[in-house]
Amino acid sequence: MNRSLAPMLSLAALALVALYLFPIYWMYISSLKLSGEIFAQPPTFIPDNPSLDAFRWIFERENMGRYIRNSLIIAVGTTFLTLVLGSVGAYALARLRSFWVDAALVFILLAQAFPEALLATPMFVIFREFGLLNTMLAVILATTTKTLAFALIILRPTFLQVPRALEEAAEVDGCTPFTAFFFVTLPVARTGLIVMAALAFIMAYGEFVYPSTLLTNGNLQPATVGLYAFVGAEYADWHNVMAFAAVFSTPVVILFVLLQRSIVSGLTAGAVK
Amino acid sequence: MSRNTTFSLMLAISTGYLVLLVGWPVVYNFILSFQDVTIRNLGNFNRPFVGTAHYEALLANPLFPKVVSNTFFFVVGNVIVQFTLGLGVALLFHKKFPAAKYMRGLILAGWILPPMVVGALWKWMFATEFGVVNHLGVSTGAFAEKIYWLSDPSNALFAVTASNIWFGLPFNFILLLAGLSSIPEDLYEAAELDGAGPFARFWFVTLPLLKPTMLAVLCLGIVYTMRAFDLIWAMTKGGPVDSTLILPMWSYKLSFEFFRFGEGAAVASMSLIVVTVVALVYVRVIRSEYQA
Repeated sequence: MNRSLAPMLSLAALALVALYLFPIYWMYISSLKLSGEIFAQPPTFIPDNPSLDAFRWIFERENMGRYIRNSLIIAVGTTFLTLVLGSVGAYALARLRSFWVDAALVFILLAQAFPEALLATPMFVIFREFGLLNTMLAVILATTTKTLAFALIILRPTFLQVPRALEEAAEVDGCTPFTAFFFVTLPVARTGLIVMAALAFIMAYGEFVYPSTLLTNGNLQPATVGLYAFVGAEYADWHNVMAFAAVFSTPVVILFVLLQRSIVSGLTAGAVK
Repeated sequence: MSRNTTFSLMLAISTGYLVLLVGWPVVYNFILSFQDVTIRNLGNFNRPFVGTAHYEALLANPLFPKVVSNTFFFVVGNVIVQFTLGLGVALLFHKKFPAAKYMRGLILAGWILPPMVVGALWKWMFATEFGVVNHLGVSTGAFAEKIYWLSDPSNALFAVTASNIWFGLPFNFILLLAGLSSIPEDLYEAAELDGAGPFARFWFVTLPLLKPTMLAVLCLGIVYTMRAFDLIWAMTKGGPVDSTLILPMWSYKLSFEFFRFGEGAAVASMSLIVVTVVALVYVRVIRSEYQA
């Protein structure tokens, strides 16, 4: 590698990353602008009078706290259910060899591919039959289909990498196959499970179609639906909208910053193998 | 319990969940598409069978070719641009330079945002009067005057596609980078010793070995782009004048805004067939790599 070229590449890469992340920067600075400045001509790239007015507004007037709480309920519920079902299923997929496993893998991939908008109608009817419309449970169950399919695909390579010898040793010591899985395999697969939980959380937190379809009670709506109500109407107070978007996104951004490296390796291991 | 029984039970629980909540809705959808279903009889099962009436009505609907062409443009545009840009950036980040590892994770920040947020953000950026895209375009001379991005039917699809490209680019980038990293370094060294320049090395070493990854990324790209909903819904809700309406969105609108559940189900079934075909191709691609 030509030594003098390396710093130039760094610069090029930095420029690309900055260019790509510009919209996120724009979201945050728009949220710090005052009502008048948001419509300044030309737009300012650094706020003249940074202000937290927009943030005050969304918490006092737009129920931001309630929306975030609902989003978190859905996200945590879905992540928990996905962790349980996903670890159990992915482990079985990693250890079993049969026609049924191959068929299951194809089915899971297909399930992952289906757009939610298309499953919304039957989901609506099914949950209506069970009297579960307008419950968080329905939304969690529906969202888990999306995250579970993804989790099974992502976790299988993780379990494939855990040596069977560990489980066999545990069984010699008196464990059943299931307790060996629970007490030996799971701790070893800890990192993969954390990554999967993070990805499931991110996916469930940003879910829109299922809450929008299955919940008509405004009190239960998560922030995605709240944001849409803001944006769908011809609302012109963009600094409020951006503040909403910024506050809503921040938990996910923080999670990402903390687990960035592992998320990247988790994604690449699962999708191309 | 024997190992096999335990494992089979574990598999059955997880797969069973998906069969119930994904498989059954798909079948149900298919059945619905052959029935006359309105908001009144949605609750009970008194639904007259109408055969292929919905499908025929859809094919005769002037909106159908428009939605199909929107979907085609949106998907093809997204996949090609995301792939090409993703590959370019991946090739850059594959080289070794200071802070490469740190910066490449940062790019993923766009992909992890809720798609609704991305849609809202780009709606603001594409705003005609005060949006930053028009400002930068006009002040750098790229545009002669401010463009009506989201209110003009001839521009809206382009704006929506561009936004989704921004959203999906990191995913392509990361997977292609992983694929590039799996190509052994010695092959490049050997090629260099044989006198191959950078372009020849790319053509004869990188491309052939990257092919499985590229195919996988293209298939996943098509599948994930077909799932786009939140982003477009936020920006244009399918408008103006249905210029950004893609197949899955049309199905949703038919069912939940016009309450024509039978037709919505018919559109859904057609879309599901398309998605299934692509997904099966993806499975094939992964399989052949697995066995190779």
